[in-house]
Amino acid sequence: MKERRYDNELNTRLRQQAAVAELGHRALADAGVEDLMREAVRKVAAELRAPFVSLVEFSEARGGFVERASAGLPGSPDEPFVPRGADGQTGFTLGAGEPVIVDDLEEEGRFRPSRRLFALGARSSVSVPIGSRERRFGVLGASSRRAGDFSPDDANFLQGVANILAAAIERARSETRLLTEQRRLEEAFRHASEGEARFRELADSAPVLIWTADADGMIDFINRGWLEFTGRTVEEETGDTWVLGVHPDDSEGVGSSWWRAFRRRVPWEREYRLCRHDGEYRWIVGRGVPRFAEQVLVGWVGTATDIHERKQMEEKLARAAARDHEVAETLQRSLLPEKLPRIDGVQLEARYLPAAQGTRIGGDWYDALELEDGRVAVVVGDVVGHGLRAATVMGQLRNAFRAYALVETSPAATLARLNRLLSKEDRDVMATALYLIFDRDTGEVVFSSAGHPPALVVTRDGPRFLEGGRSVPLGTADPATYRDEAAVIESGSTMLLYTDGLVERRDTPLEDRLAQLATVAGVAGGDLSDVCDQVLQGILGGLRPSDDVALLAVRPEPVAPGGLLMCLPADPSALAQLRRRMGRFLQAAGASEQESFDIILTASEAAMNAIEHAYGPGDAEFELEAGAEGPVVTVTVRDSGSWRERRGTERGRGLSIIEGLMDEVEVTPGPRGTSIRMRRRLRGPSGAATDLARTGARTLRTQRA
Amino acid sequence: MSTAADIALEREGGALVARLRGEVDMTNASFVREELTSSVPNDAHALVIDLSGARYLDSAAIEVLFELSRRLGRRRQDLRLVVPATSPLRRLLTLTDVGAVATMHESLDEALGRR
Repeated sequence: MKERRYDNELNTRLRQQAAVAELGHRALADAGVEDLMREAVRKVAAELRAPFVSLVEFSEARGGFVERASAGLPGSPDEPFVPRGADGQTGFTLGAGEPVIVDDLEEEGRFRPSRRLFALGARSSVSVPIGSRERRFGVLGASSRRAGDFSPDDANFLQGVANILAAAIERARSETRLLTEQRRLEEAFRHASEGEARFRELADSAPVLIWTADADGMIDFINRGWLEFTGRTVEEETGDTWVLGVHPDDSEGVGSSWWRAFRRRVPWEREYRLCRHDGEYRWIVGRGVPRFAEQVLVGWVGTATDIHERKQMEEKLARAAARDHEVAETLQRSLLPEKLPRIDGVQLEARYLPAAQGTRIGGDWYDALELEDGRVAVVVGDVVGHGLRAATVMGQLRNAFRAYALVETSPAATLARLNRLLSKEDRDVMATALYLIFDRDTGEVVFSSAGHPPALVVTRDGPRFLEGGRSVPLGTADPATYRDEAAVIESGSTMLLYTDGLVERRDTPLEDRLAQLATVAGVAGGDLSDVCDQVLQGILGGLRPSDDVALLAVRPEPVAPGGLLMCLPADPSALAQLRRRMGRFLQAAGASEQESFDIILTASEAAMNAIEHAYGPGDAEFELEAGAEGPVVTVTVRDSGSWRERRGTERGRGLSIIEGLMDEVEVTPGPRGTSIRMRRRLRGPSGAATDLARTGARTLRTQRA
Repeated sequence: MSTAADIALEREGGALVARLRGEVDMTNASFVREELTSSVPNDAHALVIDLSGARYLDSAAIEVLFELSRRLGRRRQDLRLVVPATSPLRRLLTLTDVGAVATMHESLDEALGRR
C-alpha cells in the first residue's frame, strides 16, 4: 500500500483533510451522535481504504467496551465488557491516550491482538482514543489485510476524525446534563410552594448552582454549591454585586441581558465565564425564571451549570472546521485557473472541467495577457499527473510564464525558459504547453508547442489546426529546442486551445478525436460562450471527462466600422492603446494609410490636451468616440477639464496639427469638461492623389460657452 | 502596451546617421531627444535622421526635431531628415514647418549627397 499510495500521497492527504472538515461541519450542524458515528466509520473506511473499521464506547456502567458503529465486521466485537487496561488493542489504546499503529498483528508484542480481526485475515491496524485524557469516550480503529498498511499520517487523520466525534459526544452529553438539571430545578420549584425553608434545604443539597432573587432583582439566596464554586461568602454573592465574578469581557452582556429580562419579567439565559475559587474562569450557562404568586412577581430563581468542557470542545471544533475548510478552499482557489483578464479588442472564454473521479485536482492551466507591444498572449498547459504536486508545479509554471512572457517576444524563447525552470529543479515533472501570440491589428499569429495538441482555428471557410512549431514536452530534455511557427488568422475567426483531456481517450485514436473536435467546432455557433458549451457537449456528450479538461476560446473582436467608444485613463500611457484601437477602426472604415495616420495623430493630439487638463494624479479619465457615416469619420474627445492650449511654447502645435489635418474642428467647452469634435471625409487608398484639394473645404469653429 | 522606438547609429563620412524606427510620442520623446543629442560627435558636420522606418510621430516628436536643430545650429551642424515620398509623416512635417529648420530628403543617399 505504501507503494500504491506513493504517487497520490498529497492528493490522499488533501482528501482526508476534506473528509475531516466535512465531518466537522456535520457535527456543527448538530447531526445526531449516532448518525455522526456511522458517517465517521464510513469516511474512515473510504479514506484509509480499510476493509475493517470499528468504533467502540467504553461503558463505565458495564465495565467494558460496546461497539457503536462498524464497517466490514460481522457480529459483535470480541472485546465487550473487557475491563479497561486489559490486554487487547482497544484497552491499550485507551490507556496509552494516543494513536497506536500495528504494522503486523502477528508480531505484535505490546498487547494481544483481536481474535475476531485475526479470523478475518487482518494484518495491520491503527487505532486512536476518542476523548480527552480526562474524559475518555472510546476507541476508533481501522484494520487492513496487508502488513504495514498505515502511516503516521493515516493515524493523524484517524485522530482528527476521533476529535470531532469527541467534541460532538461531549456536547450531546452536556445537553443531557442540562436537561437533568432543568428537571431538578423544576422539582425545587414545586417544593418552593411548600415553604422557603424547605426550598433552601433542597437547593443546598442539589449538585447544581442555584440562586434566588427578590422582586427587585436583588440576589437573596445562594446555595452551597454556588458558594463552593466561587469560594466567596454569602454576603459577597447576595445583593447586586454577583456580576463581579463574571469575566470582564462578558460582564456587560450578562448584566444588561439580565436586567432586560428582569424588566420584561421573562426567563433569562446566558452563557458566560465565571471566576471559580481557584481563579480560573469557567464557562457556565446561567438561567433565571420569574416566580409569580397569583400573577404578582415575587422573585426569581435561577441556576448556573458548568459547561466549560463543552464550550472548549465547541470552540476547538469550530476553529478546526474553519481552518480545514479554509485550507481546502484556498487550495482549490489557488490551484484552479483564475478568471481571465479583460483585454480590449479580444473576446476570451474558458472552461475548466475537473475529472469525473472524486476531488482530484489537476495540473491543467490557461492564461491570457496583453504584451508590451500590444499583442495578446494566450497559453494552455497541462502538468502530467494529478494531486497537490501537479497543481503546485502548475501554479509555478503559470507564475513563471507571466514573468517570462513579458520579457521574451517569442513563444519558443518563453517555452525554452519554462523548460529550463522545470528541468533545473530536477524533480521528474513533465508538462505540455501551447503558447500563442497574436496581433489584433494584423491577424498574425506566432506559436510554439511543447508536446501539446495543436490549436484549432475556425474561420469562415471552416476549421483547421495550426500545425507546426512542435517540440518535446517541458521537463523532458535540457537543453531542448523550441520552434516558432507563424500563421495569419482571418478576421472574425475563433481559436480554440485545449488540453488533451478533451481529445484523448483510450478507445479512440487521437486523429479521430481531433477530427471530431474540428467537426463539432466547425458547426458551433453563437457567442464565444455558446461555442465553448457546444464544443464540450459535442465531444464529451454531457459526461464529466475522465481526465481534466481545459478549453480556452479566443476571438479577436471584429471592429465594427460603425463606431468605437473608449474610456481611457488621463495618462500618457493610454496613447499607445488609443492608436491601436483607432488603427483597427480606421482600417475597418476603409481609410488609406495617410488618412489613418492623420486621424490617429489628431485624435492623439486632442487626447494629449485631455491628459494635460486632468488635474492631479487621481483617477481622471477621458472619453474617445469615433464613428463613420458613409465616408465621413467623426472623432470626439471629451475630458473633464477646460480647454486651453497645452503649456509651454514647445507644445504649442497640438491645435494647429488638428486644424491642419481635419476638415472640420469644433471645440465645445462645457461646465463639466471640454469636448473637441473633428471630422474628416475619407477618400480611401485611391483618393490619395486628390488629397490636397480637400484643404480648401476646411473650416474651424471654436464656440465659446 | 507601450510606445517603442529604437535608434541605430552609424557614421557615414562626415555625417552621423540615426535610423529611427517605431513610434515616438509624448511618453518616449525625451528619451529619443537624449539619445540623439548625446550621440552627435563634435566633428560631425550633420545629423541625418532616417525616418523611413518610423511609423508614428506626434507633436512631442516634432518638438524634439526643433530642439535638435537649435542645438546642432549652435555647433554649425546640419539636421537632415530622410522621409520617403510615400511616408504619411510628410504631411505632418510640412504642416509643422519642420522644413524651416531641417532639410527633407526622399532617400538616405540623397541626404548624404550621394546622388
